[in-house]
Parts: sequence; C-alpha cells; structure tokens
Amino acid sequence: QERNVIPPDGVETVKPNLAPDFKKLNCSPDIFRCTLTTIPQSQSLLNKARLPLGILIHPFKDLTQLPVIQSSVIVRCRSCRTYINPFVAFIDNRRWKCNLCYRINEAPEEFQYDPVSKTFGDPMRRPEMKSATIEFIASSEYMLRPPQPAVYLFLLDVSFNAISTGYLSSFCQILDDELDRIPGDARTLVGFITYDSSLYFFNLSEGLSAPQLLVVSDIEDVFLPMPDGLLTNLRDCKDLVKDLLSQLPKMFEGNKETNSALGAAMQAGLKMMTATGGRISVFQTCLPSVGPGSLQAREDPNARAGKAVAHLGPATDFYKKYALDCSAQQIAVDIFFLNGQYADITSIACASKFSGGDLHYYPMLHSVANPAEVERFENDLRRYLTRKIGFESVMRVRCTKGLSIHTFHGNFFVRSTDLLSLPNINPDAGFGMQVSIEDNLHESSTVSFQAALLYTSSKGERRIRVHNLCLPVTNQLTDVFSGADQQAIAGLLAKMAVDRSLSSSLMDAREAMVNACMDAISAYASSIPASQRIGTLPCCYSIRLLPMYTLALLKSAAFRVGVSTKLDDRVFFMEMCKSLPLNYILLKLYPSMYPVHNLEDKNSISKDDQMIPQPPHLQLSSANLDRQGVFLLDAGDEMFLYVGGAVSDLFCQEVLDKPNFLSVPDGMTDLPELENPTSERLRNFINYLQDQRPFHSKFLVVREDSKARMQFFKYMVEDKTEASMSYYEYLQSIQKQLKG
Amino acid sequence: MATYQEFIQQNEDRDGVRFTWNVWPSSRLEATRMVVPLACLYTPIKERPDLPPINYEPILCTRPNCRAVLNPYCQVDYRAKLWACNFCFNRNPFPPQYAAISEQHQPAEIIPQFTTLEYTLPRVTCPPPVFLIVLDTCMDEDDLQAVKESLQMSLSLLPPNALIGLITYGKMVQVHELGCEGYSKSYVFRGTKDLTSKQIHDMLGIGRGAAPGGNPQQQRGAPQQPHGPQQHYQLPSNRFLQPVHKCDMSLTDLLGELQSDPWPVAQGKRPLRSSGVALSIAVGLLESTYPNTGARIMMFAGGACSQGPGMVVDDELKHPIRSHHDIEKDNAKYMKKAMKHYESLATRAANNGHVVDLYSCALDQTGLHEMKYVSNYTGGHMVMGDSFNTSLFKQTFQRVFAKDQKGEFKMGFGASMEVKTSRELKISGCVGSCVAGNVKGQNISDTEIGVGGVSSWKMCGLYPNTTHALFFEVVNQHNAPIPQGGRGYIQFITQYQHSSGQKRVRVTTVARNWADASLNIQHISAGFDQEAAAVIMARTAVFRAETDEGPDVLRWLDRNLIRLCQKFGDYHKDDQNSFRFSETFSLFPQFMFHLRRSQFLQVFNNSPDETSYYRHMLNREDLTQSLIMIQPILYAYSFNGPPEPVLLDTSSIQPDRILLMDTFFQIVIYHGATVASWRKQGYQNLPEYENFKQLLQAPVDDAQDILQTRFPMPRYIDTEADGSQARFLLSRVNPSQTHNNMYGWGQDGGAPVLTDDVSLQIFMEHLKKLAVSSST
Ligand SMILES: [Zn+2]
Ligand SMILES: [Zn+2]
Repeated sequence: QERNVIPPDGVETVKPNLAPDFKKLNCSPDIFRCTLTTIPQSQSLLNKARLPLGILIHPFKDLTQLPVIQSSVIVRCRSCRTYINPFVAFIDNRRWKCNLCYRINEAPEEFQYDPVSKTFGDPMRRPEMKSATIEFIASSEYMLRPPQPAVYLFLLDVSFNAISTGYLSSFCQILDDELDRIPGDARTLVGFITYDSSLYFFNLSEGLSAPQLLVVSDIEDVFLPMPDGLLTNLRDCKDLVKDLLSQLPKMFEGNKETNSALGAAMQAGLKMMTATGGRISVFQTCLPSVGPGSLQAREDPNARAGKAVAHLGPATDFYKKYALDCSAQQIAVDIFFLNGQYADITSIACASKFSGGDLHYYPMLHSVANPAEVERFENDLRRYLTRKIGFESVMRVRCTKGLSIHTFHGNFFVRSTDLLSLPNINPDAGFGMQVSIEDNLHESSTVSFQAALLYTSSKGERRIRVHNLCLPVTNQLTDVFSGADQQAIAGLLAKMAVDRSLSSSLMDAREAMVNACMDAISAYASSIPASQRIGTLPCCYSIRLLPMYTLALLKSAAFRVGVSTKLDDRVFFMEMCKSLPLNYILLKLYPSMYPVHNLEDKNSISKDDQMIPQPPHLQLSSANLDRQGVFLLDAGDEMFLYVGGAVSDLFCQEVLDKPNFLSVPDGMTDLPELENPTSERLRNFINYLQDQRPFHSKFLVVREDSKARMQFFKYMVEDKTEASMSYYEYLQSIQKQLKG
Repeated sequence: MATYQEFIQQNEDRDGVRFTWNVWPSSRLEATRMVVPLACLYTPIKERPDLPPINYEPILCTRPNCRAVLNPYCQVDYRAKLWACNFCFNRNPFPPQYAAISEQHQPAEIIPQFTTLEYTLPRVTCPPPVFLIVLDTCMDEDDLQAVKESLQMSLSLLPPNALIGLITYGKMVQVHELGCEGYSKSYVFRGTKDLTSKQIHDMLGIGRGAAPGGNPQQQRGAPQQPHGPQQHYQLPSNRFLQPVHKCDMSLTDLLGELQSDPWPVAQGKRPLRSSGVALSIAVGLLESTYPNTGARIMMFAGGACSQGPGMVVDDELKHPIRSHHDIEKDNAKYMKKAMKHYESLATRAANNGHVVDLYSCALDQTGLHEMKYVSNYTGGHMVMGDSFNTSLFKQTFQRVFAKDQKGEFKMGFGASMEVKTSRELKISGCVGSCVAGNVKGQNISDTEIGVGGVSSWKMCGLYPNTTHALFFEVVNQHNAPIPQGGRGYIQFITQYQHSSGQKRVRVTTVARNWADASLNIQHISAGFDQEAAAVIMARTAVFRAETDEGPDVLRWLDRNLIRLCQKFGDYHKDDQNSFRFSETFSLFPQFMFHLRRSQFLQVFNNSPDETSYYRHMLNREDLTQSLIMIQPILYAYSFNGPPEPVLLDTSSIQPDRILLMDTFFQIVIYHGATVASWRKQGYQNLPEYENFKQLLQAPVDDAQDILQTRFPMPRYIDTEADGSQARFLLSRVNPSQTHNNMYGWGQDGGAPVLTDDVSLQIFMEHLKKLAVSSST
C-alpha cells in the first residue's frame, strides 16, 4: 500500500503555513528552506518530534529577478544588525520592530521614499519590505579595502597522465572561446601555472611579443620567478593570453614526467594572489607525488567492497592549512579532479572545503576513450568560467532570539561564531546549518532567519544579498510533523552523516541515518492514538518519503557498503552531500524516472514556443519498467535512456533512427535530431531538464541487454540487491522494530 | 756568436721563452746564491704562422716515466733508425712510418730550427666550443642595452657550430632554453640557494627522456644512444646549449626582449644580485653536460653580488663595499666566505677544462676581489670598466673574438701543459692563470713557488699572449760536475683544443748551457735577462702579496735586490761610490723601484677590485706588456724634433711638451702648460698653425694605435698641466723633483710632484749603501 509514495508530478514542496500576506512574501524554497516549516516552540517539543532541525540555503543562486537597491542608508536593526525585511512590524511610519531581536528601531526619513514611484509615504512600499530576497549596493563602510578586481588563476596539471587524458586541449579551447564572457571589468587579471614535477609560470606582461615560460624546479621551497607579470590584465593582454592558450597543449605534448607537484603549484598560486585575492582553479589528474603536500596511494583496491572504509579523512593537514592561508588572503580554490586512478580527493579537497571553493569530478576523463565525460567536462567548464562570481565575501545567518545556529555544512571557514568566510561565492554552492531552540519561542507567532551575503561583484561593486525566511511557531506536535520538509530533512541527514563518517565511522553514520528515520517514525507513531496504528506503517504524509530517502542514502556511493566503491568516488559523493544545493543532491540521491515511450502533448508546458511534455514520475523500482517501454532516468550529472527489449520498431525509427531494437548500438550518447513529433517531444523534454540545472548531464542510451545496464540499474534503489534490502523489506524492518 | 741580447730575442721569437738566466749554474748550491731564481716566462701558444703544419702525432720516448717528445736536441742514428732521448738517454726506435728518414730527409721535429713545433692530432675531433653567457640584469637601461647589443654582435663572430647558452640573473637566476618556437622558456632558480651540479642537472630536466617544450623532432628522433666514455663528444644535446647557427635568430630576439631585473628595489637599497648562484649554476650546467670539453663562461656583472652564496656586500646602500682598509682591519664581513665560494667554483671549472671570463662594468666595485679566482684559475679574461656603454667594454669584448690570418679564433680551450726537465733540474711551480694538473713526474721540487707539487698544469683558456712563469730548481750536486759542453733541457708540451675543433699539441724544447758558477760567474751573469727577471720577481711578489702582508712583500723584494747587488755588483766594501753594476743588471734596480711603487704592491689608492684586476693582468701577459705595467713608457712630443721616449721622471714634464704615457691599463696624453693654453685658445683651428694641430694630433694617433690593438682596451685619458686627471701621470713618474726638494734643485723647470715617496736617485743611493755595507 506504500508503493506509490511519489506523486506523478514529483514530490511536493512544503510551504510554511503562514498568514497569506507573509506567505506571499516569503523566500523561495529553492533558496532557503528549513527542515521543519513549522517550528516547535521549545526544544522539548522538538525532542518529542525527533526530527532534525536545520536550514538549507542556496544563497547565490542565479535569479531571474532580483531587486537591487542603491540607497544612501541601508536600514538595519541597531541592536542585532538585522537588515530591515518584509517580516518586521512597523509600529508607525517611523518605527519598526525587529523580527529577530524585537528591538524597536527608528526608520530614517528616506525609508518612506518609494524609489519606484519616486514619492514619499508608506514605508511598506519600499522594495525592502516587498521582497524576501534583495540586494543592496553597499557603501564604503562595508569595505575593508577597495573592492578587489576579478582575479583568476588556473593551475593546470601537465604531467604525463594529464597530457594523455587530452583535457588540456579542451581546457584551452573552452577558455579561449569564453574569454570575453568571463565575469569582470577592465581590471580583471588572469594567470596560469602549469605543473608536473616542476612549476611552469607564464610571464604575460604587456608589451611582450610572446609568452615567456618560466620553469621553477625547486618545489620544496617555492618562490615566484618574477614580482609581477604572472597575473596579467585580461583586457590589455588578451592577445598574449590567446597566444598562450593556443600554444599550451603543444608546449607539453609528449611530456614524460609522471610526477605531480600540486602542493607546490598551489603554494605558488597563493603567493601570486596574496595582494589581490581571487579564484584559483586547479585541474588535477593524478595523485600529487612530489614536493609539499605530496600524498601516497592509500586506497586498498581489494577493500572497496568492505564495511570498514578507511581513509575517509585527509592524510595530511597540508591542504587544510593551505586553504586557511588562502582564506585569509581572500582566495578560494576550486578543484577539477580529472583522475582515473586514485588521487586522494579526501586530502586535496580540503583546499576547497575550507577556502569556499567548489569541487568537480570527471573520473576516467579521456578524449578518446570517454568522449561523453569530455563533453560533460567541457560544458561544465563553460558554465564554470562564465557563471557569476562574488569575491571577498562573508555570509552571516541570523535568526530570531531563542533559536541558535550551531553546526555549519558546506565549503567555508567559520571566522567568528556565525560568520562564514567565503573568499569566493558561486551560484552553485549550497550550505546547511543545524539549529537548536535555546529559549521558548513564545514572543511571537513566527520566527525568521536572515542570511546576508556580503561580496564584491566581478565589476568591483560591494554588494549585500539578503534572504529572509519566515516560519510559524507551534506548540502542537502534529503541526510540527505536518510541517516537516522531508526533502530538507534528507538533505540535512546526508550532511550530518558525512560528518559522522569522518568523526566516527561509515557504519556509525549508516546506523545514525537508520536511527534518525526510525526515531521520526516512532515519535510520530507514539503521537497518534494506538487505534490508528494497526496494520500499516504509521507515517504521516509529510515524512512518508523518509524511509525511501534513507534507503537511497544507504545505497548511495557515499554510504553504501558491500558494493565495490572507489574511495575517490565515495568521498566525492560525500563532498557533494555537504556542498550541493538541495535540489541537485536530491536528484543525485533519488533520480527522477519518467516513462517516455509515449509522450503526449497533454499536460505539456510551453517554453520558448516549444511544447515540453510532462511525463509522470516513476519510483525507482524495476517493477516500474516494462519491456515495451522506454524510460528516462535523470540523476543530475547523468541521464540514461533505458530501452526495453520489446520496444516498438516505430519508436526505434522515430527516436533513435534505427530500424529496430536489435540495431540500436551500445553507447549512444546523443539522440539524432529527427523531424517527427515523437523525437521532438523527447528531445524537448531532455533539453528542458538539462536547462533546469547549471551542470551538464552525461547522456547514455542503455539497451535492456547492454553491458552498461548496471549503470542504470544501480539507481533502482527500491530493488533488492545482494548487499542491500529492497524498499519493501526496509519498510517491513521498520515496522518490525516499531512493534518490538 | 751573437750578443746575449740577440740570443734572447731569437729565443723569444722562436720558442716564446724568456729565462732569467740563460747560462745555468751547474750546482744546486751555486744556483741558490743567484738570488733571482732560475725561471722562465713561457708563452705556450705564441702566434707562429710560420710553423709548418704537422698532421701526425708526436713521437714519444718509450721509457714509461719519461715520455718526452722527439726534438731537435735528440741524437739520431739514421742507420739504425734510432733516436736517443735527451732527457733520459733512452734509445728509441723510430716507428715504421719513419723508415725513410736520412740526413737529407729529416722529419720536421728534428730539424734544428723547429725547437717549437705544433702537432695537429689526426683522428681526434673535439666537440665545438661552448659559450655560456651569464648576464646580470640589475643594470640601468643604457648599460643593459649596450651589453645586449654587444652580445648580439658577438653571435655573428662565433663559429656557427659553436654551442651557446644564456643565463641571466638578478634576484633570481634564469637559465634560458634556446630554440623554443613561439614563446620563450627559462628555468628559474632562487638566487640564495647553492645547488650541486646533480641538482641543477635534475632541475633543468637534462637527460629526461623528453622534457616538455623541447623540440619535438629531437624528442622523437633517433633512439637514445648509449653514451660511452669513448664517445664523450657525442654528448646528449640539451636545450640550453644550442649551435649558434640554429639559434642565433631566436637568441637575438631573446636578448632583445630582455628587461632589467623586474624586482623592485627600495630606497636606500642595492638590487638583490645573485652573481654567486648564477655562476654556480653556469659551472654546474657545464660540469654536468660538457666536462672536459672546451667551454667558456662569459659573465657580465654590473654590480656586486648582494645575496646568497658569494655575496660580497649586503643590500643596504649605507654599508659600503669593503675597502683595502676594511680588509686590513679584518672588517670585511662577507669576503672570506665569498672567496671560498668562488674559489671552489674556480677549481671545479678548471678541473672540467672550462674558462670563466669576468666582464665587470660598474662605477662601484663588483667583487672582482672575491671572484678573481674564477678567471685566474681558468685562464679567463678579466675586464674592468665603468660601464658597458663605453668603447672600452665594447671594443674589448669584440677583441675577444679576434681571428688570426687563417680566420681562426685566437683562443685555445681546455689546455694543459706538461713540463719535462733533464735530470739536473726539478720544477718548483708555475705562477700564472692555471691550476695544478694531475701529472706528478719525478722532476718535482720540494720547494714550491706558485702552483707546485706537479709537473703539469691545467690552463683551460689560452691566448697567443698568455704567459706563464715557471720556476726551476737546479738539483745537480756540486760534486757531480757536468761535462764540458753539457746542456740542460726543458720541454713544454701543451695540449689544447683549437677553435677549429682540432686537438693540438705545441711542443717547445729549450736547451741552455751549464756553467760552474764558482769558476765562471761572468758567463752566468752575462746571460742574465734583467727584463725577464723583473717580470719574474714581479709575479712572485704579487703571488706573495695575495697571502702576505704588503710591507713583508716589499721587504722581501728589497732584500733580494740588495743581495743581487751584493752578488753581481762591483764595489769596495763600505764605499757606496764605488758601486758599479754591469749593463746586464743596470736596469734591474729601476724596475724594482717602479714595481715597489706600482699599483701591484701599493694598494691603498685602489679598491680591492682594482688591485685584483691589475694583478690578474700582470699574471698573464707576456714580458713586453708586463714590463710596461711595471714601468710605464713615456714619449714626448714637441716642436724640437720627432717624438722620443723620455725618462719616466718628473723632469720629463715640460710646459712645451705633450707626453704620452702607456701604463698598459691607461693611455695618458698630457699637455704641458704652454701647449694646453695654446690648445685652449684654439690655435690648432687656425690655418697658420697647422703644425700645432699636427703636434696635437701626433700623440692621439699613436695612442689610437695602442688602443686599437691592446686587450683589454686601455682607459684613454686626455689631460693637461693642473688637470684633475694629471694625477695618473704624476703618480707614476719618478719624483725626482718634489715639493720637498724643488727649491734646492728645480732649475730646469720640471714639474714638482706632491709626494713624500723617495725618488729613484735616493732609492739608488740607499741601495748602494746597503749593498756595499759589510754589516749585511
Ligand atoms: Zn534586531
Ligand atoms: Zn726519455
């Protein structure tokens, strides 16, 4: 009876149960959400619910609409520095009560000025009062120094392994293409360091007729070969940069040096950027083997399926220390892992985790052997290079008195109790925070969270982006349960489980997830009369997916046991749990599956004059597949088109341009552009899905009898496998425990 | 028989040899009483375009510990086809290819006129010479531009197959890869860290299968060949040293784009200059890639090393670079450490057969005092100037690449010299630009003078005028008389790499008569070469001055002079007026007088760098040039007659004369007061005073002749009576008239010199007094 828990149009997003005027003004759940959309009034009530309380935030998400305010004063609470927001109460036109600390503040006279209508009057007409998400252009008091220019440094692995992947040509080509679209202004600086066992710097000073390559082989004691010229003004020296990009692949062609001095390259990068801050983008294809921060291959390939997973923590504190040094200089480190062999992502990723950078992983990237991965890399790189970026930023999340934020998840450094240092902020970074209730929340019927992100735009403006989330407070346990946001809960549980894996063990983390799920269900069970519990699993609608998400987590590459999992794959998944915005991690955890063999225009939505069919969501169970059908599985960074063995010849002809199933080749990574409604509908739908996300999804057609079918079936989390329970079995085990 | 004068001249022309004594005392005891040691100045590759080309290997004495080369002094038995070694008396058969010899048909090596002969070894090809530029970039734009242009010019003068490399330095040291297309590439080293040649080799990626950025053709070319020692000239090509013909265009561009050191220099600071590490990397690079191959490092320094190994001064401008005064007070903080650094580099370079040239052009000192070893040990050039943007540097540098009539460089590489002696002689040592070689024959004296303890020396760099002083000891005992007519022999065997890539061996064999000093002292004294003796004593004194205190050296010189006067003078005891010196000795005291006053031994008016530079030149030039250095030449120009040499004396300074003084290092034209005033009034521009114009022009033309040919180009000074630069003249002339004595003496209008130095006359009087004194 609990088989179909996902509605055909996807899992619903819970909205806080607020008064209509507040409801309308509240922050988008895509940006800001709480695990409990109704906040228990006290910690004891929260304890009864046994649900985790926390917020998830996607603060720099690309937005189509964002009110931007440039005014002489930015109105803030004099006591707690909260920015004025739609959820404060105006006592009269001049005085407002802070929704976080309840202090009554004077509003400056200008606040009655409506910049839209250019008239004085009601302060409620102010944009600050009308939008929960808003951006201020800050005055000089928000600057410790003049806003930094956009500075981009690329660290490129050119060791033997790197060159053989062919990534360097891709990189140079894409960067060359996008050079004009890189965010910045006339001050933008770029620089490059390539490295194998030596470091290769490039003097791109204005006036040179050609790039100068400077090799530094003394990697134990890194130094810069010149005082300046290594970072060059992109506008003034674009030709030189383009010249370099055209020559780079050739320069290192045939390189036989297998060692990698990543740590030294990073140290050199830090030295180059110290004066300005900025972004370091690392492209690493192998284990750093020489110089500072060199690492050993720690993974035992024979233990990949074991239960005791070792080496989840870093092998050295080098990269963390490095990240903190970077953070102090307003430098973030982003890393693209392009390794086929073990590269110890665990250790190296620390450089990003603590500097506010982000991580990308393209395992087995190879220009010949794995073009689909190259395509994903190239598309992601394009997005990466051109996406918005904020520099020298900090984020602070405030909350209403009585609530307390305590544990932070994501990539940053906590500078002072609640101030996150984010040398860079990018639109694809997500954060999570755990919240506890320290004092009873009886002063008001709502509580609020306010996230303020102060950053320097790529054009050198100091800006503050503010998000406000308002939530009702209750003293009723049922309200708490009914307001639970099971997706957010899953997201937060995943983050907590990663921490648990590192601080304790993977098995402990698994157990904790199982227990969290169990606790919530049993807490709910004990909150309802015994008469309602008989026979069925007593689970309220709002948390009905918790067992399924838990099971998906247990079967994910991050937390699974008994299935051979490369350490780097596992660790990267964990990093994604910590730093991806909720939507993307959910898609990865529990992909969307759609039957696409008979897409219809019914229920279609229209976008850019195209009809986008909206097929129903299917749960991830093989039982939902049939041999006549074709199914699209969307797992975020990869999509599969599963073609059943008894698919109609017509479909094969109309969509795959093949006469019948048997002639569908293995490894198709693209759909042919055929002019018929069936083909167009499917392609429109796939493109539509692709457009919903900032990263590229690898696409693969999987025949029912293909060797690659396991790649598809591993996502059927509701199925039973040798190493794991089916969803049904899992539910039964919960039920059994409840009774016991 | 010709006069000794002629004999000496003939010998010098033929063999490039000048001996202090041309008749040798036949006993050890007598020899020690000659005061001036038995020594010679030998110019191993003196230009001899008249020599016949010999394209076979020299014939060696077969006795294993002899190995002397067949020479005209050997007895030849034409019938038995045997020759008797004149060093060990071993009878050696001629090799089969000499079967046809007879009295009428003699090979060149036994023809009497060919006591010096040069063999070109067949079947031995040397790799082309390597030129490694080490260029300071902490210079102002003008200087850097000048040196860049000079270097670009030099590319066209190098043999096309020569290998060339470029290292630049400032705060960092950059080793430039040559032949990259579309971009330039260099390896950068910290200027504060010394590296072994193995580390340098590794860091430059030399010998790695294929280093990034290399020429793809080279990488994918022929499979790696094993490099056995027998084919060491087929060294792996490396990207830092490339044939000139392949990279002259790109190197020209590279030099063109070279900028001054980019590191900022704060107020009150010197630029950080890593000369020590730069040179170390240059030495290490050649050591690991071209050992025992002709190579020269050409270092261009625009200032002193101010950081890292080899630093001679720190970067605080308020701390001046050490002076002689500081050195004497043991107040030169970095000197000893720096000297140790450069001396060890010098030894390494020399042992590898590599030459190091120092071109130092700066107003302040650059540390030649500390760095001198690298040139002194390797036969490298040392050039000192105020700026690279001067004709002194530009012309001098151009002359490095001078060619002979055959269009070949006047420079030899990787040279070594072995000396054989007949049994009555042993070798005490060598003073010159060299280090000890590895041959230790049986003819080595226990008394060391200069570089001793060996019978061979490595000289690395040789030029036609490079001259070494070699010291000998007579070991024949008094009771083992040498038969009448017996002669002593010395053979110099110099191997070097000719710039054409040929391996050449120059063999000079000299013979001198023995004389019993107790019976025939007049024979010996008649054969005294006072010019050679003066230069030998000067070299010895300078060699001593490097380690001994200045006054000690002067005392040593005085003592020897007095003893020589006592031994060879004619006098009655305690009657100084009776003292007479024969003609062969008569000039010697005067040479010593000027030597004592010269910048070689009087250091306090000079910087340590200048002293090192002057001494370096004295140590390598031939006799004629050395004598000029010791006692400058003075010519007078006047309306009274043709130009004439005049005494180096204040009395030569006359108002109506123009003087031309050649000190080797400077060419000074001094206009007497009257001439100067006429010149100031512009008479030379008036047609009616054409003869005055000609008078003014004559010394200028003569000066030009010297300036055009001398290496390094001298400093040209045009001055006049009361001119500030007149001090160059006044400090060198004999102060026969000074402010102390002019009122008693100065009747003939000579210019008084403000000095408390004694004049030659007073010096001579003291000398005679001491010589005749019975108490000494
Ligand atoms: Zn407040
Ligand atoms: Zn012999």
